[in-house]
Amino acid sequence: MTNRRRFVLPPVAWFLLPWAAVYAAFFVFPFVFSFVLAFLDYNPLNVANTRFVGTANFARLFGDPAFGGALRNTILFVVGTVPVTTALALGVAGLMRGKIPLKGAFKAALFLPSILSVVVIALLFKLFYAPGGALNQALAGFGVAGHGWLTDPRTALPAIMAMDVWAAVGYYAIVLDAARTSIPDSLYEAAELEGAGAWATFRHVTFPLLKPAIAFVLVINTIRSFQVFVEVLVMTQGGPLGSTNTLVMYLYDTAFRRLDYGYASVVAYAVFLLSGVFSIIAMRRLRPETAEGRPI
Amino acid sequence: MTPRRGFLRYACLAASAAVLVAFAACGDKEKTGDDGAVVHFWQFWDLAVIQPLVDEFEAQHPDIDIEVEQLTWATGLEKIQAALASGTQPDVCELGSTWLPRFSYEGVLEDVTPVYEAERDSFLMWESALWKGRVYGLPWVQGSRALFVNRSLFRRAGLDPDQPPQTWDELLHAAEKISQLGTGIYGFGQNIGERYVLYKKFMAFAWGNGGDVFDESGEVVLNSPAVLEALEFYLKLAPYSLQEKQEVLDQYFKTGRLGMQVSGAWNLKNYKLEAPDLDYSVALVPKPAPDHGAHASFAGAEMLVVFKASPQKEAALQFARFLQAYPQAKKLSLAAGSVFPAALSAMHDPDFTTDPRVRVFVEQSLTSRTTPAHPGWIEMEEAIDRAVEESLYGRRAPRWCLDEAAREVQEIAARFQR
Amino acid sequence: MMRGVRFVVLAAVLVAMAYPLAWMIAISLKTADGVSLRYYGEVWQSGPFDRYFVNSFVVAAIVLAGNLLFCTMAGYAFARYRIRGGKLVFLLVLSTIMLPKQVILVPLYILMQRMGLIDTYWALTLPFLVDPFNIFLIRQYVSTIPTDCEEAARMDGAGEFTILFRVVFPMLKPVLAVVAIHTCLTNWNSFLFPFILTHSASMRTLPVGLAMLSQGAHSIDWGHLMAGAVVSALPVVAAFLVFQRRIIGGLTAGMSK
Repeated sequence: MTNRRRFVLPPVAWFLLPWAAVYAAFFVFPFVFSFVLAFLDYNPLNVANTRFVGTANFARLFGDPAFGGALRNTILFVVGTVPVTTALALGVAGLMRGKIPLKGAFKAALFLPSILSVVVIALLFKLFYAPGGALNQALAGFGVAGHGWLTDPRTALPAIMAMDVWAAVGYYAIVLDAARTSIPDSLYEAAELEGAGAWATFRHVTFPLLKPAIAFVLVINTIRSFQVFVEVLVMTQGGPLGSTNTLVMYLYDTAFRRLDYGYASVVAYAVFLLSGVFSIIAMRRLRPETAEGRPI
Repeated sequence: MTPRRGFLRYACLAASAAVLVAFAACGDKEKTGDDGAVVHFWQFWDLAVIQPLVDEFEAQHPDIDIEVEQLTWATGLEKIQAALASGTQPDVCELGSTWLPRFSYEGVLEDVTPVYEAERDSFLMWESALWKGRVYGLPWVQGSRALFVNRSLFRRAGLDPDQPPQTWDELLHAAEKISQLGTGIYGFGQNIGERYVLYKKFMAFAWGNGGDVFDESGEVVLNSPAVLEALEFYLKLAPYSLQEKQEVLDQYFKTGRLGMQVSGAWNLKNYKLEAPDLDYSVALVPKPAPDHGAHASFAGAEMLVVFKASPQKEAALQFARFLQAYPQAKKLSLAAGSVFPAALSAMHDPDFTTDPRVRVFVEQSLTSRTTPAHPGWIEMEEAIDRAVEESLYGRRAPRWCLDEAAREVQEIAARFQR
Repeated sequence: MMRGVRFVVLAAVLVAMAYPLAWMIAISLKTADGVSLRYYGEVWQSGPFDRYFVNSFVVAAIVLAGNLLFCTMAGYAFARYRIRGGKLVFLLVLSTIMLPKQVILVPLYILMQRMGLIDTYWALTLPFLVDPFNIFLIRQYVSTIPTDCEEAARMDGAGEFTILFRVVFPMLKPVLAVVAIHTCLTNWNSFLFPFILTHSASMRTLPVGLAMLSQGAHSIDWGHLMAGAVVSALPVVAAFLVFQRRIIGGLTAGMSK
């Protein structure tokens, strides 16, 4: 069957060629450059004065309280948003089971937040959380005193987290809903016949078959959440008192405000490692079953 | 179904090699100058505002072609950095006064000391352009901060709106009285929770009291008694203040719920458009006591620089001086509505002295200070912001905060020894 | 009864999701002299705004086409062929998502500048033609499709390209719908790279043009910003409404047997 001559490229090579070309052309150099930066004292204004500093930047990481704070906040952010978003998305997807009037309208609404740019959403929520803003006004309606949500170090990060959950739930709900519709009704009928309640049905029918989709949602959301940045930049710039300083916010600051590209690179690779570790753990825990679980 | 595996590798390797070769061979793109000179100018104002000035210059100098590019305030700096890193920086660039010292320190700016020597008495705001005895930038436009006073709230509180607070005690008294008018009404506005603002407001009080970050000999005096007094006074204002981001403070003032705040001239334009009936006036920032200190305030300046590596230095400098000159700076200021020329001629120009509010801003610039011209300023301002914020949030005692901040500033300064 | 409760909860969710959009529109219509479309007019005239639209469309179309084509090829290859070091290469693909892109901002600019591509459509499209995330999606999906049809085609003597594009491609509609949505959305709203990699006003995309317009040094111009944001969101909303049936339908049809 394989009668190929030596110099003919096999199809797989052609299939991978476009990706490889784009990658080689536009990403190998920047990635290598940014990796090398971690070992340098590099300042864009003064490239000629670049010095090799070995692992000094890495060592700095360990004694840096700002990095520690950013790390802590980022992990808090990930742990606080990803499970909540996933659970809520599952819940909303479950709500849409079966025949519901206006289902299309609901799906469209769920999709709306994804259409807006993150900057616009962050700005809107900045207004929302402001002293005279909608949230405080609503609370006043219930007789509850308003609060400086974004200016209180204790509430600033949770406020941004809540916004992130709002922005992400709809999209993932649609994804999970689509995945759920692939579970054959016969299984649900069988469960009903066996007298299984809602929770048992979920645990033994829905969840195992949704594992790939849930894994997908978890991994993607985790990677994305580790890189939370634009929202922080727009709403609080890392304050108040560093309570919303995240790893990428810190990276951005270090590179573009303090002009210390080398150290910024180290922070970037810290994010890279963390995302990698978390993703691998998530993927292992949620290995798909051998049955028909279809990820999207 | 396993095709020759090696070929995949070769394909990728070949692609990478080809690209790297192409990349190495490409080299720098040369800037094409036609017959005359092309001067690239990067700046932050709306093109509609800056284009008339450019056109005028080109009309006067037919052999020079100006290419303008607009940068955004939020991300313009990244672009400048990318350009410098790749050798594609413009010839003339607008830089904020807080940024300039770092650029001077790194040696990327053209020395314009001769211009300074010729023009020094005609302009304010040279300080940020000075580095090690030489000058590296031209002050273009500036904006100081002054005290906005809501006259209706003053009246309601039993205060005389025509006698805005002149001293710290008067300021504290007024803030207290106004905040007693009811919930949701605040006497004073204090910035909190965002970067790049707080130190501007706080330092005004420190400078007014004779304090500063560095003294003449370059010693760090951030934790001196003068500054500590200013911080303690600032904390006294806290119970009667709305502590929020700049936007919110401006908004509250606009809707008549904030008695006083130190803010900038951009509000003059905004309030005229959005709250034409607001009864307010502008006053100099209060000084510590009738016989002590000064009405100091913060002023930020937009400076014009020429990059040392520019192939069109002469034309670039010519253009920069043109922009800096009073007629052009004035046109820009009037069009933008939020800044004033750095040129002293503005002090006597009826366009800037007739409107009482505008006149106060112009007057305030005479006693305004700008941030220390230190390359590490961006980090230092962060330390100062943090110190004041920590005191405002009641986390730490003011004395401790200032000592910490002084120590950090010292550390940062030590890193910039070139 | 349960159905009723579900409907009510879903309705509440709908309001929660749609509220900010409605608010956005409200802000964009509220001027100092009452409700008007003034901001929209001013936004449209603020610069070569129609050019921004065209640029955004062209770039989105090119990037979409590129992704649909090239990511399918790569995803299929990873799913079907055993490649030496394939797992490693695949991890390489994925790892590009895990590195914050801010760190390659300046290096990419330097590279583009040396290639002479700054301020061209190439700069706005080439680096984004093959998004590794899409490769990941397609590979996952393809690996769950049984190989029967492909084997049959191979028996009939079809070449690999034919198999991919004639046999497999049509089966990928659901995942391609997701790829299309994801690619279009990220591309349409993308700001940082288009800003850094272009200089002339005529090469700006919508997000860049809008940022120039509404973000002043000390204050945000809410009216113009929201009007711009609504204008920017309209094509996406329109596309979604038009293709919604197909997209959702495609997703569900492909999912169930």
